[in-house]
Amino acid sequence: MNDTLRLDEIVEFAENPEPRCPCVLLIDTSGSMQGGSIEALNEGLWSFKNDLKKNSLAARRVEVGIITFDSEINLIQNFVTADQFEPPRLTANGLTNMGAGIHKALDMVQARKSEYRTNGIAYYRPWVFMITDGEPQGELDQVVEQATRRLHDDEANKRVAFFTVGVENANMTRLSQISVRTPLKLNGLNFTEMFLWLSASMTAVSYSKVDEQVALPPVGWGSI
Amino acid sequence: MNSLKQTSQWRVVAASVCGKSHQQKQQLCQDAHAWQILPDNILIAAIADGAGSASMGKIGAIVAAQTAVANICAGTVTRRILDDDTSVRLLLIEALVAAKQAVMEEAIACEKQIHDLATTLIVLIATPEMVAAAQIGDGVAVVKDFAGNVFALTQPQNGEYINETTFLVSPDAINTAQLRLLRQVIVNVALLTDGLQMLALNMDSGTPHQPFFTPLFKFISDVNDKSDGVNQLVSFLRSERICDRADDDLTLLLADISN
Repeated sequence: MNDTLRLDEIVEFAENPEPRCPCVLLIDTSGSMQGGSIEALNEGLWSFKNDLKKNSLAARRVEVGIITFDSEINLIQNFVTADQFEPPRLTANGLTNMGAGIHKALDMVQARKSEYRTNGIAYYRPWVFMITDGEPQGELDQVVEQATRRLHDDEANKRVAFFTVGVENANMTRLSQISVRTPLKLNGLNFTEMFLWLSASMTAVSYSKVDEQVALPPVGWGSI
Repeated sequence: MNSLKQTSQWRVVAASVCGKSHQQKQQLCQDAHAWQILPDNILIAAIADGAGSASMGKIGAIVAAQTAVANICAGTVTRRILDDDTSVRLLLIEALVAAKQAVMEEAIACEKQIHDLATTLIVLIATPEMVAAAQIGDGVAVVKDFAGNVFALTQPQNGEYINETTFLVSPDAINTAQLRLLRQVIVNVALLTDGLQMLALNMDSGTPHQPFFTPLFKFISDVNDKSDGVNQLVSFLRSERICDRADDDLTLLLADISN
């Protein structure tokens, strides 16, 4: 007696929530970003969303959150899966409270992990992707120092993967002191290419098996 | 229906296919499997999954799976010996050690670092009356007993992050390997690498999803032509329904001793 149905027609799959790949975009919206920079960045956000959507698994697994920092810290977007992500239109004004921004991003990551654990959802190591055209300004030194120490501790304990991108006149030296990973300098205002790289990286992470490091695509949009 | 009474024999169908993501990046499929049936209905099997970040994960997986099986088969393995728990444990551990050694030697021969050949490994010994497994890393061994109960013999091993696991080449891998032994009349065994985990297991409880395994175990018990069986399994693993939910390399080894 032969079964005429194919295996893929009769085998049923378990329903498990997709593992999540959280990514916080931590964006400098200080006064100097006004004009060309913030416009190019806004366009880049659309490239990011559209590229992620092309891969159906990544679209369901990658979660995007957005925090901006200028004279204030604003949670622009709480975590949402890439397929539901609608890019905001960011504007720029004010100083650069980077230390507070870093704290907020790390808080956001921590809270999300806790939610995942409570709900039995598996997850990948979260990313924070900080984009700035300057350095901390308008904050107490100790806020920045504390944020730096916290970030270094989180990286050492593999709680997060924190990447820094400097734009235009960013103080790369200062940024190298704050970030563990070497900051990258964006070529011109090539945000679109940068966001496409980020989307490819998040996609690679979202179905990777790693011991130490995921092999990221080569960086063509910036330099060390 | 068989009109002749036959001694039941193990029948095995296994396949490893390349994941979409690896195809897109033009990487080799990094999964491997190996198996052998010894006299007196003893099944020896192994599956392995090379680390995505390991440049020679594929080689590591092949070497590990083949060495583990060859190592056990080279010794004296009888039903009598398998009656003793300590002997079973020893056979499995020695297989892991031999596999790790072989991977290390391969790394040296290829002038690579050992972590370039990082791979997971599951090794299985089964007779109609017992089943034992040693596991390093993720993936799972599932068993169906005579009463029709389907349960997981091992559990996928993950760190905090879903893509973190232990590899054969990791420093403490053998000491921390899962070792499981079950003395019960069994009819089916399945080994899967982690690409199929999300589809085959209820991840929060680690229990097998029955409607995944039941048709597969029926399939293997009905298979008469081995190469046709492998083709059907490969088609299944390459089907759209699977590819939509799994990007990874996939290995599925099915074994039956029910008739």
